[in-house]
Amino acid sequence: MQQQNTARSLKVVGTAGPPIDAIERVTGQAKYVGDLELPGMLVARVLRTRHAHARIVSIDTSRAEALPGVKAVITHKDAPKVPIWGNRTFVLNEQVRFAGEAVAAVAAVDQETAEKALRLIDVKYEVLKFVLDPEAALQPGAPQLFTDGNLEGEPRTLTRGDVERGLAESDRVIERVYHCPTMWSGGMEPRVAIAQWEGNRLTVWASTQAPCRVQTNLTAQFNLPDSQVRVIASYVGGGFGTKSAAHVDETITGLLARKARRPVKLQYSREEEILDSNTRFETRVYVRVGVKRDMTLHALDVKAYINQGAYHVRLGGLGNQATHIYNIPHVRTVQYRVHTNVPNTGPTRGVGDPQETFAIDSAMDEIANEMGWDPVAFRLKNVKRNGDPIARGGTGTEDGRLVTQVTDRCIEEGAARIGWARRNAAPGKVETGPIARGIGVGVTERGNGGGLAGSSVTVNLDGSVVVFYASADIGTHSRTTLSMIAAETIGVPLANVRAVAGDTEMAPYDGGSYGNRVLYSTGRAVDEAARDCLRQILATAAPMLKAAPGDLELTDGVVRVKSDASRALSLKEVMQRRGRSVVGSGAVTQSQAETNVERAAGAHFVEVEVDRETGKIRILRYISAHDVGQPINITVVENQIEGGTIQGLALTQAEEMRFDPRDGRCLNANFLDLKPPTMLDFDPRVIESIVVSNVGEQGPYGAKGLGENPCHPGMAAVANAVFNAVGIRLRRVPFTRADVLRALAEQRQVPSRTA
Amino acid sequence: MADDQRDKSKQSVSRRAFLKGGALATGALSSTLIPDTAETQLPEAVEADTRRTLVEMKVNGTPYRKQVPNRTTLLQFLREDLKLTGAKMGCDRGQCGACTVIVNGRNVYSCTTLAVEATGAEVLTIEGLVTDDTLHPIQQAFIQHTGFQCGFCTPGQIMTTKAFLDRVPRPTQDQARRALSGNLCRCAAYKRILESVMTASRLMQA
Repeated sequence: MQQQNTARSLKVVGTAGPPIDAIERVTGQAKYVGDLELPGMLVARVLRTRHAHARIVSIDTSRAEALPGVKAVITHKDAPKVPIWGNRTFVLNEQVRFAGEAVAAVAAVDQETAEKALRLIDVKYEVLKFVLDPEAALQPGAPQLFTDGNLEGEPRTLTRGDVERGLAESDRVIERVYHCPTMWSGGMEPRVAIAQWEGNRLTVWASTQAPCRVQTNLTAQFNLPDSQVRVIASYVGGGFGTKSAAHVDETITGLLARKARRPVKLQYSREEEILDSNTRFETRVYVRVGVKRDMTLHALDVKAYINQGAYHVRLGGLGNQATHIYNIPHVRTVQYRVHTNVPNTGPTRGVGDPQETFAIDSAMDEIANEMGWDPVAFRLKNVKRNGDPIARGGTGTEDGRLVTQVTDRCIEEGAARIGWARRNAAPGKVETGPIARGIGVGVTERGNGGGLAGSSVTVNLDGSVVVFYASADIGTHSRTTLSMIAAETIGVPLANVRAVAGDTEMAPYDGGSYGNRVLYSTGRAVDEAARDCLRQILATAAPMLKAAPGDLELTDGVVRVKSDASRALSLKEVMQRRGRSVVGSGAVTQSQAETNVERAAGAHFVEVEVDRETGKIRILRYISAHDVGQPINITVVENQIEGGTIQGLALTQAEEMRFDPRDGRCLNANFLDLKPPTMLDFDPRVIESIVVSNVGEQGPYGAKGLGENPCHPGMAAVANAVFNAVGIRLRRVPFTRADVLRALAEQRQVPSRTA
Repeated sequence: MADDQRDKSKQSVSRRAFLKGGALATGALSSTLIPDTAETQLPEAVEADTRRTLVEMKVNGTPYRKQVPNRTTLLQFLREDLKLTGAKMGCDRGQCGACTVIVNGRNVYSCTTLAVEATGAEVLTIEGLVTDDTLHPIQQAFIQHTGFQCGFCTPGQIMTTKAFLDRVPRPTQDQARRALSGNLCRCAAYKRILESVMTASRLMQA
């Protein structure tokens, strides 16, 4: 679809190697927002409510304001009445809807003074009844978070065929429910923001994946044009979706800085980060799946409750992924997106896809086992292949055709690598000794990127190249991969290219670093900008080399006449004789209809060991096979697959946020009780990635997005492997040892049960 | 919990004062959720302890002398007083390892070490690892394997590796995993971190 520089073989794209900013990252020189200090900068702290649901009757800040060293105090009275998320939520609200919500903020000369001032703020509340469970929140008489109810919009519905008829026609139907609780998914760097006003101009340094989204919110909050608001996110200590939208901290910092007339830094503590970021939303997914005796999937009925928490940073839900992976004639999915008094939710790695994969690919495994089918053969029978119909819009209508789809190959290559044939033929059959082994599979996929992408590329007078893009490099090493694209397209060594990431003032609008999009979408804009540069360079060089631009090529930093290599000039010489920089620009808009037909697939296979006496699940081997299209940097690809796989496994283990049913407060907002995996929890050596050879159509050089996908299948693959080992079904994450032992005890009480 | 916390918080729930006050129950740790209703309102903080102590230490070979409030953590001293921002604040509770530095040869969480505890010590931070413009072999190994993604935990990972390899120059992979298990990497670049540590061990022997 895209015209590439196909005249020569790839020199930079497809190689391996460390990121171009590696030295900054291993020497402590990389400056994250928390490391920055501005002259006269104040320190901000936030007062947070302990109530899960309450109305503020009064706030008296006078004593805090009188404290020496306090320079500004703000409450909901100071917050613009401009919605930040959805259409009814402000940065600070008169009605607080989760324990941990900000009610006031202070800027003072130091942290000590700011924290002391918080304690001098008197807040009187009318305490309201709260609700934590999404299904309970829809019951009559449930506490109402919003005047128009707890349900966010209409239930999101997708239909194809006639699901009731399909289920009736099926030879076997199973009905199951799968549950993922609210889970924390943030990064190592807690949220932090610095705001500085110069006249009517606001600059915010933010720990964000999407500087342009933050900018858009700030322009709305402060009623300023884009040109007056600059957002900078140079180094970001991880995002995983929790920093993919504007958040309250940037605006709070801006309000305080404006009031205090001094720069302000607001650094969240870890507890604040866990409570007031955005978490992975709870999902309770009711699944009915029907199959025909010929091994075909016939009907799928999904009813899901999405617990959006108090506020939806962005509206979430299941991506109807099942309808993209499998051919199913009769489908109905209904999603209820419900507000409750648990903290904010929003997109986190994969948005709803890990939760959906857990439900769907567990159900697929359950019905295959009930029918006595090989779960891999069953999937291969039903999985969508290249050229199969696919819905281009968000509806059930399949009006497009899949391109470059390789789900089948991901499954086949993964199965071969793990030795699928070794799995237990009879799951749960009692073995000698307490230890049992099993193999499981989980299949996933996701669309790539999309939306608005932009970049500009400058070629300096010495021939060096700078790539500018406004999305942040959050650890996905997009500085490197985008520089590689520019190097390849222009025809210079990678060492001559650097990238400036995450500055809204330096680069055109670009959606952000989320949704498998930077490489796929921003990468296309970079490629376009680089081709713009190349055109200008060749036009400049043509008279110097007495040739037509079309007869020239630029390789390894040298412009040559194609037919006579002796007629050549270095790019540096061309640029110096030109006497002015070359600036290229690229902007790409990809519609959903366009991106929906090209998707990135993946299949995970895991071998586990289950100890029947202790309930411990040990990962023995884990194969992550992914379609990445054309890899731009193989090291970056493998790093993403390995890390994403462990994040997916983390969901099976320990990331649940627990809430006290008596007061709605989170019980484990710290890294002791909510522990992300350490190097000991999962042996990283057992993870093997398979990069399934493929070249896409729409991404730069045929690349596809990858960031989200490796996080999807872990829960399903492990649950299916545990079943294969000991014959028990785990339908709620995390899989604690107690859950395993309980299921084993139930199994012993029903000895005849096979599934 | 509220009553319990109210009593304990008379010493102030501010974190710095908390350190001064010694070990309190976990309840007081959630200082970000300061009670805010009439019925749960905490008493106002007592005056912050203004006592200061002269801290003398060598950091990356350079001697420093400074009067600091007793409550100052080593992490705050490094980041705020010395402007050495390589060590990061990831949790401020000794639960993540992003703040790891080396004190007298041992890797410590600088967020749970008071600056006064390091008086007289030799402190090494990530900024002190480069000598004569040459990266330390551990840094070279982390680059060779890309033992990081976002890089926020990397200074801590590298400092733990340094203290470990100085102590155990030829570790097994399992020893290395155990030694590094106090440093969280949320990007989970663990496979590459482990490879980096093992390669660093070899480079340091050479």
